[in-house]
Amino acid sequence: MDFRSDLFSLPVLIHVLVIRPLLKLVFGVSVEGRENLAELERFVLVANHNSHLDVFLLFHILPLRQLRRTHPVAAYEYFARSKILLRLVSFLFQPVWIVREGREKDPLKGMRERLEQGHNLVIFPEGTRGEAGKIASFKTGVGQLAVEYPALPIVPVYLVGPERAFPKASSFPVPLWNRVIVGPPLLFTGKKKEITTALARMIWELAESEAASRHKRIRRPRVVTTLAVLGIDGSGKSTLAMGLARRLSRDARICLISDEVVFFEGGSQREVQLLLMERLREAIGRRAKTAGSLKSYKIPKLTELLLRDRIVEEVRRWYAPDAIVMDGAPLLNITAWARLYRDEDFDESICASILRILAGRDDEIGKGDPVFDTFPELVTLKRFYLARLELPDAVLFLDVDPAVSMGRIRSRGDKQQVHETEEKLRRLREGYRLVCKVANRDLQVPTQTLDGHLGIQAVVDHALHALEGMSGPKLDHLRELGG
Amino acid sequence: MISGKKLVLEFSVSQNASEKVTGGAIVIRDASQTTLLVLLVVLSVSALLRRRLGIPFTVAIYLPYLWIFALAFTVTEFVSFEIGIWILVALCFLALREYFTLVDLRIQDRWGMLAAYLAIPFMFYFISIDWYGMFIISIPIWAFLVVPFAITLGGREAEGSVLSIGAIDVGLFLLVYCIGHIGYLTFYSTWMAVFLVTAVVVCDLFAYVLKSRERAALPGIALQILIPAPVTIILALALAPWTGIPLRHLMILALLIPFLVAIGCHTITHLETDLGIDRSRIPSGHGRILNSLKSFLYAAPVAFHYLRYNLDAW
Repeated sequence: MDFRSDLFSLPVLIHVLVIRPLLKLVFGVSVEGRENLAELERFVLVANHNSHLDVFLLFHILPLRQLRRTHPVAAYEYFARSKILLRLVSFLFQPVWIVREGREKDPLKGMRERLEQGHNLVIFPEGTRGEAGKIASFKTGVGQLAVEYPALPIVPVYLVGPERAFPKASSFPVPLWNRVIVGPPLLFTGKKKEITTALARMIWELAESEAASRHKRIRRPRVVTTLAVLGIDGSGKSTLAMGLARRLSRDARICLISDEVVFFEGGSQREVQLLLMERLREAIGRRAKTAGSLKSYKIPKLTELLLRDRIVEEVRRWYAPDAIVMDGAPLLNITAWARLYRDEDFDESICASILRILAGRDDEIGKGDPVFDTFPELVTLKRFYLARLELPDAVLFLDVDPAVSMGRIRSRGDKQQVHETEEKLRRLREGYRLVCKVANRDLQVPTQTLDGHLGIQAVVDHALHALEGMSGPKLDHLRELGG
Repeated sequence: MISGKKLVLEFSVSQNASEKVTGGAIVIRDASQTTLLVLLVVLSVSALLRRRLGIPFTVAIYLPYLWIFALAFTVTEFVSFEIGIWILVALCFLALREYFTLVDLRIQDRWGMLAAYLAIPFMFYFISIDWYGMFIISIPIWAFLVVPFAITLGGREAEGSVLSIGAIDVGLFLLVYCIGHIGYLTFYSTWMAVFLVTAVVVCDLFAYVLKSRERAALPGIALQILIPAPVTIILALALAPWTGIPLRHLMILALLIPFLVAIGCHTITHLETDLGIDRSRIPSGHGRILNSLKSFLYAAPVAFHYLRYNLDAW
């Protein structure tokens, strides 16, 4: 074949001097990955099909020498409706016609002939122009060709823009940019169905990555899963929360709310802007830790817990993580601490009432309920609209014998906090157990007790395993992120 | 219909010269025209050679649009205002096309988009015949009424119509109406428009050096206003005789423009982020025009109306 005589033929001149400039002026064409096509001598272009513009766009990116050696595969019946159209299309594109009402038994025959000549094909495996912006299932003809010609490179192309510039159901085009994304040339081995599926997935992936950066008018609200790690002091819950956050962050954006707020992404810590609320909480938290008696401990600790709850909201708003791992849950902590202060009145029904009130789910608890007489603090909290604490989506309770945890606290060497005695921790542990039980039974929060005597790595593994076994819509969402 | 706003032009040396084009031959009358021609040539060469010259990416994508302005002004100066303005029509079309590609519009908003495209020649026609009253309401009254109606023609699906109308109207307002004000400025005085564009470019270059053109960061704004101001003042002093506008007004504009550029740039950068424009790597058709024109969008209408108000009174 002599390329030069080809170059000055009328169809090529029309392509170069009329169609290409018009496409650029009226619509605008941006091409990504043109180099994937430039060097190839023989190829099959495979693209999604939404518009009449598609074939023009694909011919727009072809190297000049390939213009007369490339043939789109087209349905004869569609174009045969008008003789002028049929002639014009034949003149410009030299298509391989597929006659659907088959006298021809083998629809691939025409394509094979062209390939035997050393020519190239453009195939829209969806068969016909699909619905705007959707990729329909691929027909297996292209897979069959790939099986028959294993040395022929197949180039997946994703076209975006034509479905808006000139959609199927529309009578007029509107000037909008078109983007042609040329994927790398591929050689396939395997069965025709597998090849077709692989090609469809390739184009779908090109589509996905293109769509990721696009403007989306309405974004789906981000689902934030909250996980709480409970445990008495010295049980290693902070370490567990840290380890859990780090592990989960391999597939998701995780924020850890512990003594400080830490953000994890891709398995490692990431710098984030500090929250003002967090600074305030740190200061108050320090005060609580140095308190001399349970009485003077109570107010700073309560304030700290309430602030910690606000921080969950702040984190959700400013950092937008996929999940929040909380070292202790303010709602459950406050309830469990009620036991420490008021051991004698505390039982399961009261605990359930307190949880409901503090979580703001107290529709069926009247104002005259006896729980308000026993715990007048609840009235105050309700009055100041503070009783809307975060109910976690899952709770992990790290259970440790108080004697062991006291040993750990002593070995840390820090000054002991007021409640850090074996007797008080024992009561606190009972409190946590009760709260977990009630939260699980009455508020349908999945809870799991972990054995805290094991090493940290084993505990983290157990925790992850436990999360796998729990169910709930938000937990399912988190699992999906992890694949 | 044609009001006699040309009275301002009595002060414009250059505009008088442009009216004396004889027999189709382009005659260079004075220094101002020579300067304009030199500017166009320099811009053309650097736009053509931008790859060879190794100009940084963000500045390089800026050049073609600057060149379109220079071409429009040169044509206005040497040929006629009525033709020069149609070059800006092309610019508005390109800008609007790019914006519509970026923004998430529904398939059934096609009629609305079509109406928006037609609003460009509609508005520029009134500029070209100097019908100020009609120009100033062409987009905010006519186009804003027609676009929603056109959208109802696209389909019965009502969901999302309000957002579509809003998205199309924002594009029309920023990329057609605001740019149109530069066109009208060339009617009063080409050199006034040249001064505006040059001052904006100076501010942009400083912002580029300060790296604040890339980010929607407020702290940079004070610097963006303070640093270019001396340069724009010098520019005003230099161009004052050619613009035909009293020096005191030019001085006020020289102080106003850095402020407007900073605010405009900050605002449009915010929109760019929402539109998904990655400013470190903009493929063609993916926000180059919006990124290049963003500094003009606030400066042009305010400068125009400042002048129109003060020159009428004076």
